[in-house]
Amino acid sequence: MRPLVRWALVAAAAVALVTFPYWSAPWESTRFATTLLRDALVLAIFALSLDLLVGRAGMPSLGHAAFFGAGAYAAGIAGQRLATDQLPITLGAAALVAALLALVIGVLVVRSEGIFFLMLTLALAQIVFAIAFQWTAVTGGSNGLSGVGRPMLATLDFSSPDLMYVLVAITFVAAAFLVWGLARSPYGRALIGVRENERRMRALGYDTARLRLSAFVLAGTIAGIAGALSAYSTRFVSAQDAGLGNSVRAFVTVLVGGAGTLGGPIAGSALVSVIERVVPSLLPVELRISEAILGLVFIAFVLFARQGMVGLGRQTWLRVRSR
Amino acid sequence: MIETRELRRAFGGVVALDGVSLKVPEGERRAIIGPNGAGKTTLINVLAGEISPTGGAVRLAGRDITRLRSWQRARLGLAHVYQRTELFSPLSSRENVALAVAARRGPYRLFRAPPRSEYAAADAMLERVGLAGRESVVVRALSHGERRQLELAVALAQNPRVLLLDEPTAGMSPVETARITELVAGLDRALTIVIVEHDMDVVFRLADRVTVLHEGRVIAEGTAADVRGDALVHDVYLGKAVTVA
Amino acid sequence: MSLELVFQQALNGLSFGALLFILASGLSLVFGMMDVVNLAHGAFYMLGAYVALSVVQLTGSFWLAMLAAPLALALLGLVLEPLLLRRLRGRHLDQVLVTIGASLVIVDVIGLLWGRDVRSLSAPPGLDGSVTLIGGVYPVYRLFVIAFGVALAVAMSVVYRRTKIGMLIRAGVGDAEMLGALGVNTNRLFASTFATGAALAGLAGVIAAPVFGVQPGMDTDPGLLYSLVVVVVGGLGTLSGAVAGSLLVGPADTFGKVLFQDVALAVIFAIVALVLLLKPTGLLGRIRVAR
Repeated sequence: MRPLVRWALVAAAAVALVTFPYWSAPWESTRFATTLLRDALVLAIFALSLDLLVGRAGMPSLGHAAFFGAGAYAAGIAGQRLATDQLPITLGAAALVAALLALVIGVLVVRSEGIFFLMLTLALAQIVFAIAFQWTAVTGGSNGLSGVGRPMLATLDFSSPDLMYVLVAITFVAAAFLVWGLARSPYGRALIGVRENERRMRALGYDTARLRLSAFVLAGTIAGIAGALSAYSTRFVSAQDAGLGNSVRAFVTVLVGGAGTLGGPIAGSALVSVIERVVPSLLPVELRISEAILGLVFIAFVLFARQGMVGLGRQTWLRVRSR
Repeated sequence: MIETRELRRAFGGVVALDGVSLKVPEGERRAIIGPNGAGKTTLINVLAGEISPTGGAVRLAGRDITRLRSWQRARLGLAHVYQRTELFSPLSSRENVALAVAARRGPYRLFRAPPRSEYAAADAMLERVGLAGRESVVVRALSHGERRQLELAVALAQNPRVLLLDEPTAGMSPVETARITELVAGLDRALTIVIVEHDMDVVFRLADRVTVLHEGRVIAEGTAADVRGDALVHDVYLGKAVTVA
Repeated sequence: MSLELVFQQALNGLSFGALLFILASGLSLVFGMMDVVNLAHGAFYMLGAYVALSVVQLTGSFWLAMLAAPLALALLGLVLEPLLLRRLRGRHLDQVLVTIGASLVIVDVIGLLWGRDVRSLSAPPGLDGSVTLIGGVYPVYRLFVIAFGVALAVAMSVVYRRTKIGMLIRAGVGDAEMLGALGVNTNRLFASTFATGAALAGLAGVIAAPVFGVQPGMDTDPGLLYSLVVVVVGGLGTLSGAVAGSLLVGPADTFGKVLFQDVALAVIFAIVALVLLLKPTGLLGRIRVAR
């Protein structure tokens, strides 16, 4: 496929995605699909940021929700304390707080690897969660932070659900573009090098600790932005946004979709969103088993399809082509 | 160019290096030989900055680098080829070398694809070590000998002033050994090379001077011919109990 | 703060520490033997508490629950290890991931079987009174917890030092091939180790229930969070690490809650941060290249 054709297709898809609520209006009056898609896109941004760590840099973080939650809280609190709804301020606050938190935690965890890294990120993120849960004065504690305002950009008001969706969709496209650009850049290649053979990278002259820290902070910042979008969308921040469940969710999304690929986190968020939102709506309310289903799907992929849906897709495609 | 002073390194109770001092002037090719357990690989690792010594100092071009980490030493012009193959498995030969070429410029560039000049330089280096035509092959698909050639290409792509080679011909067939030896022999004379070797033919072909280690100490030093005729070295290699003054 | 209050809080800290030890020991054991961080450990702890709830409801006996819950968890461990972990031998990171999946399933099943209300379990008669100690009244149950924790630590220490299995753990031999070469049936060993770890988690669930209650979310808080903090601080894979971690985190958390209230966990964060900066493998941990 010629590059120009490919670019045109991607651009068309992006436009279709961003304008979804407008062209779907005729058959979708309840806005269920729009809301579902919006939340799936927020998860996709979150998962894309985690994939930077898990899929590219080889840093399996189980504490990524700490930054998501920090961004969500920062956006909400900044809006309320500074009495403003202006997007640059609240979103900027979210990115800044998430980045700083990622820097602090990053410095502590960046020298560990593998399972130990996983545990450290989990433990430290859990502490962040616990602080959010207990610091009632600032975060609303176990009741959460309610009344988060919908953002405004100059006179553009994102209170309308359609416009809120557009904001999320545009951010998603930007995030996907960023990750795509990163993957093909020297930076992306250096991250792969660190993942594959850190010792050799150091022997070549790369400051691997700084590389890993930069990836950690970048990923945390993007997660914080996803968190802010979540806060704007649901107008609420709960401590669970920073909790282990959310970190696990993101990890599952990345792995099930296919780590280290652009399409993986995206496909994964589609699947996870279906499991989390569509399945429960088909079952009786008392039968809450979406987590269990997620767990089983996750186990199945780890055992039998480690490369995720994208990897499976590639394998099947190659097999079909070789016939 | 590169020298050590009274280098000591102990691992718990085991003394690997017991006061090793050597001076390798610029452009010289120095071989480090000695029986197994003499401390040769430890010495290379201390020179490269992967292990820190428990005593003594390392100097590069007159500058004390004892406290510097491996990546900092690499930036100062030190390249290290490991005893065991240490490459980036899922990447192609070209990408492996490109990583080394790109190291100087620093990786914090986000959007641009790596410049063509990088890949061109990588390909040129691959051709130089005899891997022309194998640029796109993934490391996993290369033979052992080809991987060692690639190792050399990666190290040379760093444009080093000092090259540390830890048993470069280990596990190679005579044909592969000869190829690697000629490659190293043909390297720029301005490049200082320190090579740990067991194969004495390789040593004689390549080395200007030889340092012999035994139980963490230097027991002899001289030209290859000198060392060959040294009775002490002879005894050490034959495993006779030797007390070194 | 009066002396009596300090003494009381010190006892609280110790009893919390003892509880943490019982909880974290299982996690540390499984890692020390199998190089697996069982992230379903909190779910096991939670399941133990709920099983105890049912046993007490059925039989009225807390002591029976203290036997039944670990047994039930051991059985679960014996089933899960071959089912999930055995296939992934050598793939340590993937083993950890699979335990995450397991915990998701277990927690949801608990919700299905027992509901999602907050429940409680009272201390058994005989241990539900209080005792007058220096300057105040102190619940007997918490003293029991301290005693039990000490007893368990001593028992485990004996096993570590006097038995062949203990020797293997201490030697850090977690490699299946090496163990096989030593004539050990690795499948049985790993399955029983995992079952023991699960049983210890279940036991902790029972013993902690009268103190911390039985409710949704207990798998992460206190379950997984505290066991991880203890082993990260104290050192993973060693008995002394679990002891050191519990003795440090227990009192620190207790005093932190008294002194700082809302941000007590910041104290824990500070301790974790300090330990990580000084000794990344934990105070008494063993360096493991676990990928």
